[in-house]
This record gives sequence, C-alpha cells and structure tokens, in this order.
Amino acid sequence: MVDARKMAVTAVTAGLCLPLALFAIILVPIPGLPAASGFWIPAGFYFVMTLWFGVWGALGGHIATFLAMGYFQGFTLQVWADGALGDLIAPLVALSVFKLMGARPDLRTRKDKIAWLVGVPLASLVCGLWVHTVNLYFGVITWPFWWVGVVTYLVGDSLAVFIVGTPLLRSLTNYVKQSPMYIWKD
Amino acid sequence: MSEGKVRTFFAYVDERFLLVRAHPAVKIVALIVLNVVPWLVEAPVPLAAFLASLLLLATVLRAPLGKLKNYLVYILLVAQAVVLSYALGSKIPGSVAYVKYPWGCYVTEMTFLYMAMVMLRIAGMLVGSTLIFLSLRDVDVVYGLKSLGVPFAAAFVFNLAMRFSALFLDDYAKVRDAMLLKGVRLDVGGPLERAKLLSRTAVPLMVIAVRRMQDLSFALELKGFPPKGKRTYIYTFRWKLADTIALALLIVIVISVVALKVATRLLSFPGWPLV
Repeated sequence: MVDARKMAVTAVTAGLCLPLALFAIILVPIPGLPAASGFWIPAGFYFVMTLWFGVWGALGGHIATFLAMGYFQGFTLQVWADGALGDLIAPLVALSVFKLMGARPDLRTRKDKIAWLVGVPLASLVCGLWVHTVNLYFGVITWPFWWVGVVTYLVGDSLAVFIVGTPLLRSLTNYVKQSPMYIWKD
Repeated sequence: MSEGKVRTFFAYVDERFLLVRAHPAVKIVALIVLNVVPWLVEAPVPLAAFLASLLLLATVLRAPLGKLKNYLVYILLVAQAVVLSYALGSKIPGSVAYVKYPWGCYVTEMTFLYMAMVMLRIAGMLVGSTLIFLSLRDVDVVYGLKSLGVPFAAAFVFNLAMRFSALFLDDYAKVRDAMLLKGVRLDVGGPLERAKLLSRTAVPLMVIAVRRMQDLSFALELKGFPPKGKRTYIYTFRWKLADTIALALLIVIVISVVALKVATRLLSFPGWPLV
C-alpha cells in the first residue's frame, strides 16, 4: 500500500536527483557511448536514499534519470529503457546485498563496509550490463563495443557512488535514523 | 503568456493545436505507440516513411518542433556511436566488402544502410515523443495515467517529483552560492575534479532533502493521503469520438506492424522495397 511517507521519499529523491543528473550529463559526457556519464553524480544520492528508505528511493532515482536524460536526449522508449530502468535496478541490487549480508548503511562495522564495497560495484555492473544490452538491442552499439560500455559504466558509476555516497552514509545515517521513513531496525 | 496559449512540457502552444485537445489517455497511448513502432521496424524505407509522416503531421498541426534543436547534441552523440560501432565492429553481409578487419568484422554497403536505419529509428522516436510532449500538460500525466488504470498515488508522485526538481534547483543554487562566497572554486580542474567539487554540495543538499521529505509526508497525511473512497477531480476530460478514432487507429497501427513483422520480411532489415 502506498502511503504518504513512501510518496514523499520518491518525490523528494526524484526532485533532488533531477538537477544533479542534468549537471552530470553536462559535466562528463562519454564520447562514443550515448546515455552514459563518466561521473553520474545522482547515483550517489539515490543509492544512499535507497539504502536508507528502501525501494521508494530507487523509484525516485528512476524518475529523475528519465526526466533528466529526456531533457537532453528526448523522452523516448530507448532513453527510458536504457538509463532510467537501469538506474532503478542498480540501487536495488545494492539494497539486496545489504539485506542478504545483514549489513547496515551507517558503515560502522566491518560487515557494513564489505557490503558497501561489494554492493556498489556489483550494482554498477548489473546496471552497466542492462544499459548496454538495451543499447545493443536498439541497434545503437554493436557487440564488440558492448563490453567497453559495460566496463566504463562499471568504473564511472562505482566511482561516483563511492565519492558521493560514502561521506553521506557515514555522516548522515545517524541523523536519518530519527526519520520514521528509515527502514532499518537496530 | 498571450491569449489562447496552453503551457505544456516544452512550450506555450496554441490551444487550437489539435493534440492538446485530445484526451490525456490518448496522448499517453500515442507516446508509447510512437516509440514502440520504430523499435519494432528494422527496414530503413518504412522507417523513413514513418519519420516523414510524423514531420508532415507536425507541419499540418502547426506543431512548434523547434524543441528538436535541443536534441541535436544527442543526435550527434548517437550518430558517432553508431558510425564507430558499425564501422569497426559489425558483420552485416552485403555484395561488396569495402573493408575487412583482422578481428573478423567488415564493412559492406549494407553496413551503411543499417547505420541509416538506426538513425532513422532514433529520429522517429525523438520526433514522435516531442510531438506528444508538445501537447502534454502536467495534469495530462496524472489524468492520463489514472484513466489507464495506474493508481492515483503513482501518477501523483510523478507529478510531485517534477515540481520538486524546481525547488531543488533553487536549493542547489543557494548551496553553491554559499560555497562560492566561502572561497570554493567550482570551475577549476578537469571534468572529474570539477565533478568531485560539485559533489561536496551533497551533504547540505541531503539534509535539506530529508527535512523536506518529513515536511511533505506530514503535509500529505494531513491532506488525507492516500485518498480513500471515490475521488473527485478538479478537471474533467470528456471522451470524444475523435479520441475513440485516434485510439482505434493507434491500436490498428501496432497490430499491423506486429503482424507484418512476424508474418513477412517487409519490416525486417533490409525490408521493403529492398527485400
């Protein structure tokens, strides 16, 4: 059941990530690979929002990516299926890693840190595989370029999430724990 | 804003623009169909005909397609990706092989045709989507999704997200200005260095976001969200005969394209009339 809190998480995450996504596209475009930014700043935010507030944070990232990419690239099926769906999948993979390992997003224990170090590259890899398989399926790239796209996506996305997300998780998780939307019970 | 203009996603358009007056559900379905059709079709000539039809329709409807200029950079990005990918990494059989690479890929006359097909596909999607978005208002998204059976809450969240982005743009500007006043240089270094500097705005922005999230959830709960029972709406959209015809036409187009794709080779590469 959708309640006001979940709606607020999605709407605010989307609203926050949208301008950041616009800046990321402008700042670091990757020549040869459409729908990719070398440093996808909003990923750091919606990964963190998803780890704090669950699926609804990921949905916010999805909406933000679609609107931001659409602004520059057109609101087409390719753009939606490509980056926007990929950006829905990625933080959910990271959340699943945390759930499976029983880790917490404040990154205090060794287990939390391992979950973060494993979850982020794994999520970026899954997202990269998705994004460039979609590109391949729409005919924008060919097989020999597929793995190049996946590797650059893995590196660029992981870098952004680690640089932006790590200080957010470490410095703000205790503050966010007071929120009734926080999903983890200590 | 001048008299008789309607604010849509992209521009103020004349309220007599036929698509503006269509039912929101028809606009949403048209958006999906105009993207699915070029995705299904692999034949360059039918794709070119599809694109030409959309441009003709836009001209007849006097749609202000100037918005397409904003996508020129993306078109160029896609074009160079397509050329690079297919020139170096494809094996599309043809009658003449212009280049053969040691890694087994080659370029034939069909490679160029395939490149053209991909570009026509992306262009078709872009023109089709832009045509619809020129007629789409934010209320259309909520009412359109609602009338297609999407829960009201989901449609409402989408709309709310778009409104919040404007607020966060303002917040971002305030945080950035505060950092600049404290002597931070956000315009120095390479792209990665600049991106890292930009990411320093993350913590204050996130604090604002969390506080705003709580305020919003309280406001929504006070307003009785999620709505229980039958809702009433401020706008009413009457389903007209023209909407029925448009919807029927869209359904026929999709069925025809799927049937032709499955049963014949007319819409597969290289397709009609090159089969």
